[in-house]
Amino acid sequence: MIKVLIAKPGLDGHDRGAKIIARALRDAGMEVIYTGIRQTPDQIVQTAIDEDVDAIGISILSGAHMKLIPRILELLKENNSNVPIFVGGIISEEDADKMKKMGIIEIYGPGTPTSVVIEGIKGYFEHASV
Amino acid sequence: MQVSDSQILDGVRAGDRKSFAKLLSICEDDSVRANHLISNLEKRTAHVVGITGSPGVGKSSIINAILDKSIDKKIGVIAIDPSSPFTGGSLLGDRIRMQSHATSKNFFIRSFASRGALGGLSPSIFETCDAFETFKVDAVFIETVGVGQSDVEIVNVADTVVVLISPDGGDEVQMMKAGLMEIADFFVINKADNPISKGLLSKLRNILEMWKKDVPIFLTNSITGEGIENLIKALDKRFSSILESGMLAQKRQKRVTSHAQSILRKKIDDILQNVKTDQLDLEEIQKEVMKEICGNL
Ligand SMILES: Nc1nc2c(ncn2[C@@H]2O[C@H](COP(=O)(O)OP(=O)(O)OP(=O)(O)O)[C@@H](O)[C@H]2O)c(=O)[nH]1
Ligand SMILES: [Mg+2]
Repeated sequence: MIKVLIAKPGLDGHDRGAKIIARALRDAGMEVIYTGIRQTPDQIVQTAIDEDVDAIGISILSGAHMKLIPRILELLKENNSNVPIFVGGIISEEDADKMKKMGIIEIYGPGTPTSVVIEGIKGYFEHASV
Repeated sequence: MQVSDSQILDGVRAGDRKSFAKLLSICEDDSVRANHLISNLEKRTAHVVGITGSPGVGKSSIINAILDKSIDKKIGVIAIDPSSPFTGGSLLGDRIRMQSHATSKNFFIRSFASRGALGGLSPSIFETCDAFETFKVDAVFIETVGVGQSDVEIVNVADTVVVLISPDGGDEVQMMKAGLMEIADFFVINKADNPISKGLLSKLRNILEMWKKDVPIFLTNSITGEGIENLIKALDKRFSSILESGMLAQKRQKRVTSHAQSILRKKIDDILQNVKTDQLDLEEIQKEVMKEICGNL
């Protein structure tokens, strides 16, 4: 059973995308924790630890990803956690490259079919020996 | 990531959240290992409170409101949502209402999928409650799935069952006549800001009178927090009184029986899945299962 946290940081209040992906992952047989909008990095990381999730999916629209993602990674490290992170949102290729170098597993742009995200997450767990 | 038993035991003893979170995962995935770990930890009796009622009645919101006013207590929350019988997937959304407490040091909120368990709970509920007692919480709040009348299993787990009803629930009174009437230690009329709640209150009083039941009723607004302090006080009072009267000990003894029943049921389910039943009649299937059980003793 794959348990995923879908988190929506940033100040914008649009969570349509996050909800669509949460439902799609549920329908693909995963247990999905959805925490609502405007989550701080502290809330996201503490929730991931307490819920002992296998993966975090972060939906970002606000453009603040180059501030939020490094902070989340830093907090996870402080907690000795290496839970894999997938990111969805409007992100330039340059930033996407940088984020992958930081350790983000995959970045999905707008309009990515949910099936691609599902395959991405399932594929990760099939290949990783966790 | 594999974590050893001793790492978990040391971590939980030191009050480490991450180790405790792992222990809860083990409760879900491997109840034999979980029960072994728990038996090696010191437990402290916590007040286990079940919060039940129809979808949308305000179960998550009232737990959030209780947390708002309990900052000096250590509290665990077990929030259960249904699993799809077809895909096994689940959307665990209760946390949304409690997320302002996600980083509170004194609270530990954990979401569970029902994973096929009937009665509005999760298959690992007994282990999970025991685990929270090893984490030395003062109280555990369990939010049941919330499908109404069938959420009666909570009575075998909780020390106190709180049944929520609300004015926008429609056939609430009808529903109360069924199972939930039997199991309520407290009734809460939530969404008391709705003017119809007064009418609901008198209806509920009438029904309780008819049934000759003396169950306290509380009115709450889980958004503003009105009525919540009263409820907390009454819960605390009930806990001391059932502790003193020996009723808690009785309930816990019964819970051991229910826990054993749940383990045995799981075992029988496993056996039934492995017995080749296609050629057997009713009698023979039962004999096969009994043979397996006796062989396992
Ligand atoms: N007006 C008013 N709204 C409330 C009150 N309590 C909860 N709500 C609202 O009722 C809706 C459902 O609340 P939840 O706490 O999610 O209800 P629930 O019983 O946990 O729902 P499920 O977990 O889906 O079964 C939300 O929109 C809440 O904001 C209240 O006292 N007054
Ligand atoms: Mg809820």
